[in-house]
Amino acid sequence: MMGQAMMARAMMNGETLGDRMTQSRKFLFAAAVALLLQCGSAGAFEVGIIGFQFSSETHARVANAAAAAAKANGWTVTLLNSEGSLPKHVEQFETLITKKVDAIIIAMGKPIEADAQFKEAQDKGIPVITVQSGASPHALFDIETNEYKVGADGALYLLGKMNYQGNLLEERFEFNVASRIRGKLLDDVLSENKGVTPIGKHAMARTQSWQDDVRTGMQALLLQNQGRVNGIWASFDGQAYIIDDLLRSQGLKKGQVPLVSMDGGQETYRRIADPDSSIVATVAIPFEAMGVKAVDAINTIVVKKQPASSVANGRYLFMDAVLVDADNVKQYAK
Amino acid sequence: MIRAVIERYGTALAGLALIGFFLLFAPNFANPQNLLNILRDTSFLAILALGFTLALTVAELDLSIAEVASLCAIIAGWMVQGGQHPALAVLAALAAGAALGAFNGFGVTVLHVPSLIVTLGTAAIARGSAFMITQGVAFVGRWPTGFTGLARGNLLGVPNLVWFLAVSTCFCWGLLKWTRTGAHMIATGEAEEAARLAGIATARMKRLGLTLSGLFAAVTAVLLTANLSSAAPNMAGDYFLYAIAAVLLGMTMFEPGMPNVAGTVYSALVLKVLGNGLILLGTPYYVQDIMLGGVIIGSVAFSASVVKKVAFKV
Repeated sequence: MMGQAMMARAMMNGETLGDRMTQSRKFLFAAAVALLLQCGSAGAFEVGIIGFQFSSETHARVANAAAAAAKANGWTVTLLNSEGSLPKHVEQFETLITKKVDAIIIAMGKPIEADAQFKEAQDKGIPVITVQSGASPHALFDIETNEYKVGADGALYLLGKMNYQGNLLEERFEFNVASRIRGKLLDDVLSENKGVTPIGKHAMARTQSWQDDVRTGMQALLLQNQGRVNGIWASFDGQAYIIDDLLRSQGLKKGQVPLVSMDGGQETYRRIADPDSSIVATVAIPFEAMGVKAVDAINTIVVKKQPASSVANGRYLFMDAVLVDADNVKQYAK
Repeated sequence: MIRAVIERYGTALAGLALIGFFLLFAPNFANPQNLLNILRDTSFLAILALGFTLALTVAELDLSIAEVASLCAIIAGWMVQGGQHPALAVLAALAAGAALGAFNGFGVTVLHVPSLIVTLGTAAIARGSAFMITQGVAFVGRWPTGFTGLARGNLLGVPNLVWFLAVSTCFCWGLLKWTRTGAHMIATGEAEEAARLAGIATARMKRLGLTLSGLFAAVTAVLLTANLSSAAPNMAGDYFLYAIAAVLLGMTMFEPGMPNVAGTVYSALVLKVLGNGLILLGTPYYVQDIMLGGVIIGSVAFSASVVKKVAFKV
């Protein structure tokens, strides 16, 4: 209707249909250019996101959630995976700086090892927010959960399930800061609760075949201590899945040997709800929410030009971790 | 004539085309800082790959380079972290690399174990030793600039890493092209039995090639450790496949079918350019891996197919 009216007005003004169509094309072309320019300006904000090792599910969960949130804001996203390689991590960081992205988010990064790149980013005015990485004097802040609390929650819950007595097996991972802290908190809890005796400990190596390492190590511990194990502690859920499968293959049912770990995720929740699984609880880290929080923080600080202190006071922005067990697992399982 | 040119330079030209593409389309690729970054990043890979080239020159495979480099990095980091003089740490790391390389040579020439097996064994020993020293926890710290400056410093306005790359390249080039030892190494690799009958000490050449491979792995390790101010077990693991790719890709150019210094260094550069350019273009990480594999296969296939076409015309 509108087009017909415009055409009628044009003809009344003495313009031919051809002239009018040419004008329409020009108008459409101008509109398309304007639209492209609009898209260009909206997409002009660019964020680089680096996950240290996507083969670790938690790294990927943070980075993917951040990427999705950034794209939802209409930002251009360069999503990179350092594949667990520190040299590659540093190279990618440098390239993002050279690329002059507007902001960088790093999931599970290495602020000490990549200190030179953090400083370079700061010198070049590129704000960096890290997630679960530890603080850097050259980054805005690190978003993380309080791993000391996470470790204490997990350890105390497991000891509670064991009635504060019996024998405990531990699966550790010393290379990662978070899992190392959790292990230290377990040591502290055990030092005050002498009724529980740690009878075996396996520390996972940092290799690409870590799953196999966990399986082999825990299998040996279970064999050595057959019939004597009253509880198992794992430093993160990925380890717990492997141990859970081992226990299941030995015919153990839920509650016989309570298994507690930390991280959270749909697979863990499914196992907590599964009567055939030995996993009884996890402390759920809000990985996706952390990724989204990083994007929101950049939006507030860089795009809306609000002071960083309006988002976080100091070098850390703590988020809550929740203990998930049979009582509340339905709230988290999708 | 055309056939010879394509045969020798086909893959190299494909690499140049790739660089040209990024110069045109990747934002900030031509930025001098970015070009310097690429050169610096290339140095680690190229030096490691040069060692592999020397081993391959004497017709031996060194599959332990990455693990040996990781162990040497641990030794250097351990000593620097412990307050030892950086020069001592560097010497210890280099000695460890050369010793492991010599051990590979001993296994091949004295125990008569194929290099594929003995270097795999050495890799496992090196990996285990690295974890034994570190217990899985990296050595990290703000180390003295006397050590970190090895990789982070500049000389005459050029990054030290680029100097190390240049010196390593010149050393290998000079060794293979201008010395009798180099000629003997090449002869050993090309036709071991003929070389032996001609009076060349082929076993010694093999030991030399593998020892130098270990030594170059140690040089890479020292530079990596200094650059990152940290040392972690398996820290050079990521370089393994890339180093082999650089050497094999290098064998398709300049001296086709032969491991050669120029081809190795140029291929390492092209591989790093590819990684850098794709990031600048904003491609997701998984596309980069796919592209990398595609370019390696594609460039070699292109080179081979063009040669075949030209050959049929002739």
